[in-house]
Amino acid sequence: MILGVYDNPDKTYAATKKLLNSGYSVEDVYSPFAIHGIDRLMGIKRSKLSVAAFLFAMTGLSLAVTFQVYVSYFDWPMIIGGKPNLHIPTYIPITFELSILFTAFGMVTCFFIVNRMFWGKNADIIDIRVTDDLFVVAVNVQQNKTDIQALNQLLIDNGALEVRERTKE
Amino acid sequence: MSYESPIRDQLVTGGKTYRDVTRDITRPLENAPSKGWWIGFSLSTLVLALWIGATTYTVVVGLGAWGLNKTVGWAFDITNFVFWVGIGHAGTLISAVLLLFRQKWRMSINRSAEAMTIFAVICAASFILSHMGRPWVAYWPIPLPNAFGTLWVNFNSPLVWDVFAISTYFSVSLVFWYIGLIPDIATVRDRAVTKARKFWYGFFAMGWNGSAKTWHRYEVISLILAGISTPLVLSVHSIVSMDFATSLVPGWHTTIFPPYFVAGAIFSGFGMVLTLLVIAREVMNYKDYITEAHLDAMTKVVMVTGTMVGMAYITEFFVAAYSGVEYEQYAFLNRAFGPYWWAYWTMMSCNLLAPQVFWFKWARTTPWFIFIMSIIVNIGMWFERFVIIVTSLHRDFLPSAWAMYTPTITEVSILIGSFGLFFFLYFLFCKFLPTINMAEVKSIIPTHHEGDHGHDSHHNHSHETAEKGAIHGN
Repeated sequence: MILGVYDNPDKTYAATKKLLNSGYSVEDVYSPFAIHGIDRLMGIKRSKLSVAAFLFAMTGLSLAVTFQVYVSYFDWPMIIGGKPNLHIPTYIPITFELSILFTAFGMVTCFFIVNRMFWGKNADIIDIRVTDDLFVVAVNVQQNKTDIQALNQLLIDNGALEVRERTKE
Repeated sequence: MSYESPIRDQLVTGGKTYRDVTRDITRPLENAPSKGWWIGFSLSTLVLALWIGATTYTVVVGLGAWGLNKTVGWAFDITNFVFWVGIGHAGTLISAVLLLFRQKWRMSINRSAEAMTIFAVICAASFILSHMGRPWVAYWPIPLPNAFGTLWVNFNSPLVWDVFAISTYFSVSLVFWYIGLIPDIATVRDRAVTKARKFWYGFFAMGWNGSAKTWHRYEVISLILAGISTPLVLSVHSIVSMDFATSLVPGWHTTIFPPYFVAGAIFSGFGMVLTLLVIAREVMNYKDYITEAHLDAMTKVVMVTGTMVGMAYITEFFVAAYSGVEYEQYAFLNRAFGPYWWAYWTMMSCNLLAPQVFWFKWARTTPWFIFIMSIIVNIGMWFERFVIIVTSLHRDFLPSAWAMYTPTITEVSILIGSFGLFFFLYFLFCKFLPTINMAEVKSIIPTHHEGDHGHDSHHNHSHETAEKGAIHGN
């Protein structure tokens, strides 16, 4: 991999665009904050985490309704103040809260799984400065096939501060 | 990519670069704490000790340690509970609602506001536990098949809803806060020079690498978390208000309660955020991040929500008069002119009248004045809950049962002590975690400092890129 290091999101965006237009394969772009639009530029498909979130919400919702109906109607009906045992409107608050709870925890867990993130993970950081102030564009190269010279020149022409090589893990 | 709105001044002043942001915000974490921090931390630890003492005393002696009686069965405990839960709401409002509304000024205040939410909910929960009298059976409101057979909780009761609402609110806020912290924890990890720091921040950074794929997913989940936190925060205080509103007690039995409580919660929460931030920007020298424009925006929210609760007070009075129900009418007359008149008028003047000064620009941009006002707002909102709870209860349907309520020294100690708990946690947060969201702040500072592009071209470009964004999570 060849890494182009930039100090500015606009330049990073422009360089990535240029690289993709010139037919290079951009492995990934690393940045201290999200560069808007670069995901679309790189052809990253919209994450399905929102679908997961919806499914978790539905799980929470159905569990909450089932449980409350089971408890207060089937398992041990009690008459409190003459109120009906099966009274759907009073189930709404808890159903709502549990849907939210399931959505949040389920979705975030999925987020960690798809990113392979877990507590205590030894981070493989492309450049220690990408969490501070620099932006790195990682370009895939093939031995003897890619013209490294031209690639380096392209990165530098688009404002790279430095260009480095790194083996892919 | 920065987007500079033509109608707003720059959100971060002082011509900061990305590196400056990192350096400024990690400074308190990487250096020995200042004298101010030690003084504040020691003081709050002392007050926390008072809380521990008074709470322990209550648990050992029982609720007889409090000034409650047969007529006034809820007083300081629930007042403090509602007060602290309300404080918490501003954090979620700032981070979730303002995210949905794309209010970028939230970015330098959301971290500390969310921390405030979490600590405030911890304080609130402590009152729920202690007011039970026997905190060791606090699991009873949780629907578990229990020792009495398979007797379950009553799902028609708002008190049970509240258990679910508060615990969901606390855990979802914690998740939201932690997700926001991950990129910043990674920043601290990558700057770490000591072994312990490298280990702990590395542990909690979960291997964050800042790749575009990760950021993409991160923005998706941030947006969804904001989307679910917004109705959550509204539901939590609505449910808290239903603890009162679903009863038949005159003064509580009011349909206006949910929106009025939510407005009050945001009002008091912003009051507390201002208290904290006016100090923090001074002590930690964050004036370039938390600018006068931020104070201006927040005080406007205070004014609007203060006026909303003020309108609710007046509406309640009107509805009581209009309803023709004499018990309802008496409850409100008793509030304003009965033995607790002073509490009522403190509430009115602090919540409705005082925030009106924020119509003036000077009041909205003068930190010392805002600080005083924020304390007034907090006092007012504490009294609001006191008025609602105590004045409605102490003179009920039967004049023979009428009673007065006076707090004991134990109750006052728990109230003061809860501030110790809150600030103890807050000071620890200031020392160990970045108090401003670095990743987000970096995304809103202008990209070109040296003027290597013309101003106009930069402006156009920013607009172009802002529109290009697939998902504007931020």
